[in-house]
Amino acid sequence: MKYSKALEKTTSLVIALILIIAIIAVAWFAMRPAAPPPTTTVVEKVYIRFAGWSAGETEMKNYEKIIKMFEEKYPDIAVKYEVITQMFHENILASFGAGVAPDVFYLDSAWAPIFTEKGALYPVSDIVSQDFINQFYDFLLEPFRGPDGKIYGLPKDWSMLMLFYNKKLFEQAGLTKPPDTWEELEEYAKIIADKTGKPGLAIYLGGFNRYMPVALSYGAPKPWFDDPGDASWFDDPAVEKTMEWYINLYLKGKIEREKQGLTPYVVAPQDVGAGWLGDAFGKQEVAMVISGNWMIPFLADQFPDFKFGEDWDIAPVPRGPEKRVTMAYTVALAINAKTEHPDAAAKFVEFILGPEGQKELVVKMGHTLPSIKGLENDPNMWPQHKKSLSFKYDIVQIFLWGPKSGELEGKISDIMASAMREEISIDEALNAMKQTVEEMFRGG
Amino acid sequence: MSKSHLFLSQKMKSLLEKRKSREALEALILISVVTCLNMVFGYFAAAFAFYLSFFKWDYIGPMEFVGLKNFMVIFKDLWRGISGAYFFQAPFYTGLKNILLYTAIVVPTQTILAMILAAFANQKIKGVQFYKVSYFLPAVTSPVIIALIFIWLFMKQGYINYMLQFVAPGFAPDWINDKSYLLYAIALVAIWGTSGHFMVSFLAAMQSIPRDIYEAAMLEGAGPIRRFIYITVPMLKPMIVYVVVLGLIGALQMFDLAWVMAGSNGGPGGAGYTMALDIYNEAFINLRPGVAAAKSIFLFALIFSVTYVFQKKYKVMVR
Repeated sequence: MKYSKALEKTTSLVIALILIIAIIAVAWFAMRPAAPPPTTTVVEKVYIRFAGWSAGETEMKNYEKIIKMFEEKYPDIAVKYEVITQMFHENILASFGAGVAPDVFYLDSAWAPIFTEKGALYPVSDIVSQDFINQFYDFLLEPFRGPDGKIYGLPKDWSMLMLFYNKKLFEQAGLTKPPDTWEELEEYAKIIADKTGKPGLAIYLGGFNRYMPVALSYGAPKPWFDDPGDASWFDDPAVEKTMEWYINLYLKGKIEREKQGLTPYVVAPQDVGAGWLGDAFGKQEVAMVISGNWMIPFLADQFPDFKFGEDWDIAPVPRGPEKRVTMAYTVALAINAKTEHPDAAAKFVEFILGPEGQKELVVKMGHTLPSIKGLENDPNMWPQHKKSLSFKYDIVQIFLWGPKSGELEGKISDIMASAMREEISIDEALNAMKQTVEEMFRGG
Repeated sequence: MSKSHLFLSQKMKSLLEKRKSREALEALILISVVTCLNMVFGYFAAAFAFYLSFFKWDYIGPMEFVGLKNFMVIFKDLWRGISGAYFFQAPFYTGLKNILLYTAIVVPTQTILAMILAAFANQKIKGVQFYKVSYFLPAVTSPVIIALIFIWLFMKQGYINYMLQFVAPGFAPDWINDKSYLLYAIALVAIWGTSGHFMVSFLAAMQSIPRDIYEAAMLEGAGPIRRFIYITVPMLKPMIVYVVVLGLIGALQMFDLAWVMAGSNGGPGGAGYTMALDIYNEAFINLRPGVAAAKSIFLFALIFSVTYVFQKKYKVMVR
């Protein structure tokens, strides 16, 4: 009796103790500083935290490999690689709010102004040599240049839009070359739909950034929105004309054609049971899409029998009467302004973004394009990517519309989608777009 | 009672008291653990959200006190929505309108369905365990996975439309991409996913209804349907209130299904946009955590008042 009571007592106390220890442990793990105290180690080692998203297991493994190489070269620096698979920038912002942001992290061009403006980033140009910075394509550095002229992030890679076309469907439709102008794009899409029974072109419902090359190629001014007055961009005749054309692509190409009982010549990916443009193109449900370099490894991986060169090819984005324009998308490595080890962080950034790092992480992987010059002719460069680099454009527009790029892109795209679904007229859409910009920057 | 007996009983009593106080101490220690966690992750977060709703913040810079400005954003949005603005110009209003419709569909349906399922599961028939498990399975499956499976089933050329052609020939809506059907599709998934969970609550309550009431009713000649309506349902009243209240809380703050099935912008015509989605977008896309916090307070007030009014009206102790 006594024994069992004692046992009972001990058990309860042990359970309580375990729970308390567990909580303290959890709290300690959650709240401990990024770097463990270096006092116990013989050689003082610097720890830096590096956060990125992942384009897949291979990319993660390659990063782990290159981090190991870095740690071998710099034995006094250790890198903790943290992969944030979902909602990356939201997570980074929240970690800034909580005061536990990583030392080095990915930064999308569209998010760069917010971070720069708030003083969250360390000026990389203060710590990295000018020679190193000169290796990068200049236009890719633009989004990361602060108002003070300093560079706050170095691009790790980039992608641009191009036209993907299905050679077999083109052949069936009697077409011998890809479309060169926007008018030809629509015309070819119609011919393909009539001759093959497959829609000629797939576009997103909405997609402000996909529409932008059309506007700029018709002479629209470079978009930049940081003031209510910038809403007048939507009053530009080139913008009005091209927005109408772009929305009509779907209204005429899908909705009207279906009403007439004909095969639509323009569809959205979901109309053909696909998740996104790459999926629709790979399944050969459509003959053309305008998408970026990221589609190339996807097609190679998911549709290995659909071969580049034989079955499909790429061509420059169609041109307008004024210019030929494409969009570029880039992601930088940025250093936290509050990092305790800016030198170690800079060394790491230099290692990853230098020629050796990019050869391993960008060129060999074939996901995107290298951000430094001189790797275009690397023997490991995928032929598709190499070809995309050979296209000539008058303007390469970086995906960046001002300090609120992400929000603006989302809202304008929603309005475009609404007009494409016939919920509002094109005029109403243009007015709503202007109103959105005005309200966004009216303060408060 | 002999002296020794008295002594023994007194000793027992004091031992019992000692044991009780020790038990109380142990209970306190154990409860304090959960309370601490709840304090940090529940009450502190809630209090911080309340505090934040009076500030303008961008996560990185310092906070700036703005008084009731964040709440004004909400009322402006609601006013605009009432005045007939497009869904994308009054997102909060759109979310509110959708979530009220969604709640009005989901809560009564899931409650009635759960009760019917429980009535079936309460029968002494062969293989009843199998049915119980099948009904309950959706409740232990991740809503995101359920939503992904249903997106596939709801496709224009999907299984649901395939089955529908036998019931209603010619009726094959594009559930996910048509603004007239999207919210109903989401509601159907929610009903499917939660009814099994509430069935278990009803089943437990049904099993505690005394059998003699049923026997008496049977002797009086009441059939199974009459017994269900006149005995089971009234006896289940406290559980019905409990299920409805939990259902209301869950439905009004729905996020996961809308996020997966409609997307963060609410899909076509904003038909799948909810208040919780809007709070998320406000916090992480528009980068206005202060406004997001104010919107959360509004949502809290809505949930609190709806559940309070419901409980007050049906005046039953909720277990």
